[in-house]
Amino acid sequence: MIDHSLVISPLAAFLFHLKQGFWLYPWPILIGFLTILGYQSVGRIVMLGSVKWPVVFVLASLVSMVSLFGWLTMVRRVGMIPLYGCGVGLASAMMSRVYAITTPMHPQLKIRIIHVIWRGDTRGIVQLQQALRAHAASESDAGRARV
Amino acid sequence: MRVLCLLLALSGALTAQRPVPRPAPELSIVEASGKTTALSSYRGRIVLLAFISTRCAHCQKASLVFERLAQEFPGRLQVAEAAFDAEADTEMFRQRFGLTFPVGTVSSDIAHDFLGIPAGTRVGTPQIVAIDSRGVIRAQSEPLGTPLLQTPDYLCAVINAIFKQEPGR
Repeated sequence: MIDHSLVISPLAAFLFHLKQGFWLYPWPILIGFLTILGYQSVGRIVMLGSVKWPVVFVLASLVSMVSLFGWLTMVRRVGMIPLYGCGVGLASAMMSRVYAITTPMHPQLKIRIIHVIWRGDTRGIVQLQQALRAHAASESDAGRARV
Repeated sequence: MRVLCLLLALSGALTAQRPVPRPAPELSIVEASGKTTALSSYRGRIVLLAFISTRCAHCQKASLVFERLAQEFPGRLQVAEAAFDAEADTEMFRQRFGLTFPVGTVSSDIAHDFLGIPAGTRVGTPQIVAIDSRGVIRAQSEPLGTPLLQTPDYLCAVINAIFKQEPGR
């Protein structure tokens, strides 16, 4: 309750409501989205089998930390449930359109970059399948040679 | 139907908060040292008074905001807190948060009376009250608390707005 004869700059109230709005509405959506995006991305990268286990460990730990940090900073009340669910749903829907996530070596920078192959990218899918077949063949040749 | 409307109106009236601006009632804050401070002794300065619960996290955070404001408006603003939770250790509270302004205790009934809320009504803490130099309450938290009134920027804006209307300005 404020005495209406007071002339108070609306900026402070506006910024407060803006910040409050962010923590109440987009933040739970973002956390739900990032949690699913992170876990699914790690899962898909791991499934390719070309990443070393320490990298997998670090990535999975980071994703868990992001998720838990989000939960810790979230305004936990009943109204947050549908928003968090919305974020989870959005990320799941988006990830359902992803065929695979690979980590090829950048030719110039010589570092691994994240490359997303979408379900609509037929050429990319074919290339990935060929690469996987070639990789499997070289693995089995190497295995036979060891035996 | 008429009875129901009457009952609803009556319950609304019973839980309603008295509007602002209104003269601040006299209040005596008893500090842990035994020192009693009357609110009227702060007349001539803008007073930021908070009714707190020493165990409430929002009150602890608001106390730090109050301390900052007390440093920002020296001589012009008087900050005080009155704890109304049972067995409140106000001295430990002051020391823990490094507060330089008076922190005392009042009974729950006195706090309710000051806030213009019927006794026994559930209140959210902190209950923040801004009083001008003539002893008139110009801003006050809603019964269940007003988070906006706990933010330093908004409190600053309220204090400045009151200050602009002070006589002699």
